[in-house]
Amino acid sequence: MTSPNTPLPGQERYVAPVEETPLHAVDAIDENAPATSMWADAWRTLRKNPLFIISALVILFIAFVALFPRIFTSVDPNYCTLDYSRNLPSAGHPFGYDMQGCDIYSRVIYGTRTSLTVGIATTLLVIIFGGLIGAIAGYFGGWVDALLSRLVDIFYAVPLLLGAIVVLQMFRTSTSIWKIVLVMAMFGWVSIARIARSSVLEAKNLEFNTASTALGSTPARNLFRHIIPNALAPVLVVGTTSLASYIVLEATLSFLGLGMPSGTVSWGGDISSAQTMLRTQPMILFYPSVALAITALAFIMLGDAVRDALDPKSRTE
Amino acid sequence: MWKYFLRRVLQMIPVVLGTTLLIYALVFALPGDPVVAMFGDKPVNPTIAAQIRAEYHLDQPFIIQYLYFLKNAFTLDFGNTLRGGRPVIDVMAAAFPVTIKLGLMAFVFEGIFGVIFGIVSGLKKGKWYDSVILIVSLLLISVPTFVTGFLMQYFLGVKWRIFPVTAGANPGFIDLLMPAMVLGSASMAYIIRLTRTEVASNRTLDYVRTARAKGLSNRKVITNHILRNSLIPVITYLGADLGALMGGAMISERIFNINGIGNTLYKGILQGESNLVVSIVTVLVLIFVVCNLLVDMLYAVLDPRIRYE
Repeated sequence: MTSPNTPLPGQERYVAPVEETPLHAVDAIDENAPATSMWADAWRTLRKNPLFIISALVILFIAFVALFPRIFTSVDPNYCTLDYSRNLPSAGHPFGYDMQGCDIYSRVIYGTRTSLTVGIATTLLVIIFGGLIGAIAGYFGGWVDALLSRLVDIFYAVPLLLGAIVVLQMFRTSTSIWKIVLVMAMFGWVSIARIARSSVLEAKNLEFNTASTALGSTPARNLFRHIIPNALAPVLVVGTTSLASYIVLEATLSFLGLGMPSGTVSWGGDISSAQTMLRTQPMILFYPSVALAITALAFIMLGDAVRDALDPKSRTE
Repeated sequence: MWKYFLRRVLQMIPVVLGTTLLIYALVFALPGDPVVAMFGDKPVNPTIAAQIRAEYHLDQPFIIQYLYFLKNAFTLDFGNTLRGGRPVIDVMAAAFPVTIKLGLMAFVFEGIFGVIFGIVSGLKKGKWYDSVILIVSLLLISVPTFVTGFLMQYFLGVKWRIFPVTAGANPGFIDLLMPAMVLGSASMAYIIRLTRTEVASNRTLDYVRTARAKGLSNRKVITNHILRNSLIPVITYLGADLGALMGGAMISERIFNINGIGNTLYKGILQGESNLVVSIVTVLVLIFVVCNLLVDMLYAVLDPRIRYE
């Protein structure tokens, strides 16, 4: 078939190109297919995003290491002999030994579980608690909102690091890793609460909500069917990114000597104890730092990818 | 606009009261009896102990103690340290100038470099230097500040001898340069990302196309149209960060051994100096709250939509 633009012999005149969508393309759309939800749409965008694929693979790998550290090393991270103190890498011990004569590779592997547990647990607590408070404040408004918002303001005025230090000092004797989770959640929930409140407030006043009420749906149905799914996206995005910052904060608290109890294998604790040997053997500090950075980086990248997928407005390019 | 300012100032009062009460409650829940600590190794004399308790209102209920603290704080009387008996206000006056200097330097550093790199990156999205800037800023966020600090101290201080390794007793501009860079590094990365996103999204909006259609030069379009709108959230972030920098200075101060407020606070916590801790944290929180208030006011000046809510 010749293109309508190329004039046939004896037919030298202009024919405008057909710009409308060809009918067969319209016909190809399956009208009976279920409507795609926001999440299905986001998932379709995510699958094609290399940033998401890379970060998701890295996170899966990190989770695998955290769940099954024995597959990666047979050395006990707490088996330390001073004879080996600061020994260089040898066969079976690729990263060498630290000051106490512990195998660094094994400690990096086993430290994964601590960091990941702390990060995920804190994020879950923060999302549940902060999300709930924020949603209640935004949905009910009035005096409930005024009261909860002031509570949020009060906690928001305490910088996370300062608050965590003051509270952790109280529990110095406790050897549980959950104290760190609780303390970080105690001062971390406010940022999620603020976001949840404003997005619930925004979703509450949107037209589809009014339309849904006009069609006879109950407030509860509105809340669960329309408001929460719409308000959840920004909360999840911030939650994923803040997971990285909780992992980093745990390491910072360990650096200050207020983090993990000494028996626990953690990257932050190992980095902190390696600081004295920085000038002679910086590699001891290097390995746990790299592990920490990769983990944090993966979650930040995942957060970026999820944000791009859930916010169609940002998909201009 | 003045009505909005007044409302924000009034809103600040319950927040300050609530926050100071929260901190007071947390610090005084610390284990250990301060009166017993004052005796040190000597046996505790019950009459003197009771006297001290009465003097510091320690025999009163908690809320009364808090009100006394508030009343004294208004007259800048924060009491004495438990060990040594130095007035807390003197300890703070000695430590704060260094931290303020450090914080301001970090603030200028992150503001200038964060905005410049963010603009370059946002205007040329997808170019190789955009990717480099993006990767470096991601690394700065995901590596803890103390690791960045150790690395800079090791390379710039110990190995290449560009900057002094530690700051010492009376640090000058050069001594504080590296600590300030460390302190501002993570925030700089956030500012780069924020500026980049804002510039990149505003660049494609209709008003920019209109400006170009009017025949304005590229330079004018960028400075008068794109930047003006893109920098509002950046300024908000920067303002709020100024208060946070003072509190976050602790890490930098510990690595480079600076006798600032962070280091004083850290030692105070370890030694159970509840008076000192509660006073420093209160002042830091006040700085943070006032910075946030100023940001909100600035925001109202910059963005007229805020005033009419």
